[in-house]
Amino acid sequence: MKILTTVKKVVDVELTIRVENGAIIEDGLQYVTNAWDENAVETAVQLKENNGAETTLVSIGGGDNTDVIRRCYAMGIENGIHIEDPALDKADSSVTAKVLQKVYETGDYDLVITGKQAQDTDSGQTGIILAEYLGLPCVSNVIALEVVDDQHIRVSRAGDGGTEIVEVALPAVITVDVSINEPRLPAMRGVMMAKKKKINVMDLATLGISSDDISGAGPRSEIVEFMASQTRQGGRKFEGDAAEITAQVVNLLANEAKVL
Amino acid sequence: MAKVLVIADIKEGVLKGSTAELLSKAKAIGAETAVVAIGSKIEPLTPELVGVGSDTQYIADDPGLELFSAGPYASCVVDAAKQFGADLIWFGFSESGKAAAPRVAVKLEAACATEITDVEIHEEQIEVIRPAITNKVMQRVKLNTPQLVAVVRAGAFEATEGITGTENVVKLSPPAPDLKAVIKELISDASGEIDLAEADIVVSVGRGVKDQAGVDLVKELANDLKAGFGSSRAMVDGGFMAHNKQVGQTGKIVAPSLYMAIGISGAIQHLAGMNGSKVVLAVNKDPEAPIFNVADYGIVGDLFEVVPILRDEINKIRT
Repeated sequence: MKILTTVKKVVDVELTIRVENGAIIEDGLQYVTNAWDENAVETAVQLKENNGAETTLVSIGGGDNTDVIRRCYAMGIENGIHIEDPALDKADSSVTAKVLQKVYETGDYDLVITGKQAQDTDSGQTGIILAEYLGLPCVSNVIALEVVDDQHIRVSRAGDGGTEIVEVALPAVITVDVSINEPRLPAMRGVMMAKKKKINVMDLATLGISSDDISGAGPRSEIVEFMASQTRQGGRKFEGDAAEITAQVVNLLANEAKVL
Repeated sequence: MAKVLVIADIKEGVLKGSTAELLSKAKAIGAETAVVAIGSKIEPLTPELVGVGSDTQYIADDPGLELFSAGPYASCVVDAAKQFGADLIWFGFSESGKAAAPRVAVKLEAACATEITDVEIHEEQIEVIRPAITNKVMQRVKLNTPQLVAVVRAGAFEATEGITGTENVVKLSPPAPDLKAVIKELISDASGEIDLAEADIVVSVGRGVKDQAGVDLVKELANDLKAGFGSSRAMVDGGFMAHNKQVGQTGKIVAPSLYMAIGISGAIQHLAGMNGSKVVLAVNKDPEAPIFNVADYGIVGDLFEVVPILRDEINKIRT
């Protein structure tokens, strides 16, 4: 089985993010691997270990992605492709999917695994759009996966009414939720080995995509501006005798907030 | 006049509140409205669909649509959107909506935006507002296509009282099944439980409740209040709570009148799932817990002591 996983370098959401004049202030930001993509990588590596698979990752944009890609190598991914091109600066999900389509078509893959969304855009579209472009079956929000045979996998999807069990014919695209697994921490030996591994860096021309292909695909959406989020303000905090303060708070919920 | 097609949010044969909210918003911006209902044995919902403000009802009612399958579901939406000539196609916040919306957008060659909280139409130009970066910022996004497929974030629009529509039913032909991704089984949520997304009060547990006994203690409070019972990720990972109970960026987004966070420290991924709540009460023994930064009312104390008192006091006030 040949597996392609996608990995995005994204802003670290644990840090403070400030907005000024419609833009995010870059100063002080740090970048990490998208959390859901780590689950995608872990899924691929487990398939390699348990069922035998060749694993390749592709990362698009993000500037110097060496750290992110080497980390995935250290987790057990074998091949890495980094697509970097100024034409992709404003790429939205549809453009990114167009580029991934080209990567897929050059590799004869059986399974594409993406995180279900990226924590910078929180869009959750790219994997699904890629499957549509490729005409492949797709299951999103996958929380468990097993291999049935060479041509089929069986996945569990967290749906609206409960857990949906879906049998999928390969080749296919799945997008995974964080609950599918616990991504491993790379072992020191893996980290050392990863430093020697090559990363295949390409621009769009090398990949065989013209800027017309990109403009034809979109972007269908463009971010005009960023705004500060309306964050909740903390209110009153009560400390002291449990019986007393709890009664006080219940009274406030009923008579001040009027929600009881 | 813009034409808005709303995808009816139906769960276990019941029409969910988001349908009325989205149709109310569509009427508020002066749009012509239609709804598409997809499922099995759902035709009896037609009067209700009219009652929440749709002027045309596209109905795809077929035994093959009983279990959700994103491909056929999206095909029904595309069929309705084409027949109606929809400019705006809105899904309520649901896993089916999130799975189907990008598919519909590709088929219609339209832009797709998820988790939108508002939409603005300037001349022919559509813009949407949506949160990003785990809710830390908001984005204004310009769409470069005349059509927009969107998933509306839970609680973004409010239903208007007294709105009504016109009955004009159009039956859709059943779509071809997806033979490459076949749904074999649905392991149903415990039915009869209060739907988190719909509940007026949500009570959630976090790591602080420790174990099953702690979960059960807080569940009694939720039962008393007829509240939805949710969870932080820690309790789901720990196996104490079902996956579909998880409130947060990767789980359910809730916006109840009252959210009670019991033993939840308040990781940003959790906050992103509940920050649309009108009033937040937090109970935590750590006075420095980040949840207190977003709680309107905070009780610093041992939840095992506080929760039983909370139940008593609430029951007193409610009788």
